[in-house]
Amino acid sequence: MLLFRSEEHVNRWCTQWQLAPGAMLSLDQAWRLARAWFEADRGAPEWKRPPLEHVEALFASLDLRGPFWSLRPAGK
Amino acid sequence: MDLDATLRRYTYDVTLATGAPPTIAALAVASGQDAEGVRAALRRLAAARILVLQPVSGEILMTPPFSAVPTPFLVTTARHQSYANCAWDALGVPIMMRTSARVVTACACCGDAITLDVDAEAPPPRTEIVHFAVPAAKWWDDVVFT
Repeated sequence: MLLFRSEEHVNRWCTQWQLAPGAMLSLDQAWRLARAWFEADRGAPEWKRPPLEHVEALFASLDLRGPFWSLRPAGK
Repeated sequence: MDLDATLRRYTYDVTLATGAPPTIAALAVASGQDAEGVRAALRRLAAARILVLQPVSGEILMTPPFSAVPTPFLVTTARHQSYANCAWDALGVPIMMRTSARVVTACACCGDAITLDVDAEAPPPRTEIVHFAVPAAKWWDDVVFT
């Protein structure tokens, strides 16, 4: 995940590297995603990666929707 | 705690205290295990996606959100300087440390310097964009590229 000045810079970079544009997040969205992802004590023995349903709900709460954010095989 | 839990606790404690993960040698001393025992435990933690290992040496590469090696995301807190694995992780460092931080990086397109002051309690009021190139379902196919 890289940082860009603007959406225009993302599009220019994708064209330059012949990559399909992925997902663009505002810093507000990315920070909220980071807070949900990293606020836990990952060194704790009881910490486990969150279940798929939890992550899906998190993505939806941040308006991260569509095939790009799907964690399931197509059609599941 | 079993060995894997002990190593995980120690790895995060050291990473949060110093900004970089411990070496296999340090983990061996801390746990009283030999290096092969530590390597096997690290492989299990990597398989569980707790850590990411360097492919040749087997040393820790990522204690998310921290990187063991220099990256374009230098994060400075009152405690130390560290490198984050990506833009998302750079926001995660101050959150995990529960402190404020300054992230020094550059626009991936034009190379223009970008400095972000990031707080653990509120998003930075800035207009830059974080771009995710890899769909979520494929993040772990090649997590270094992701």
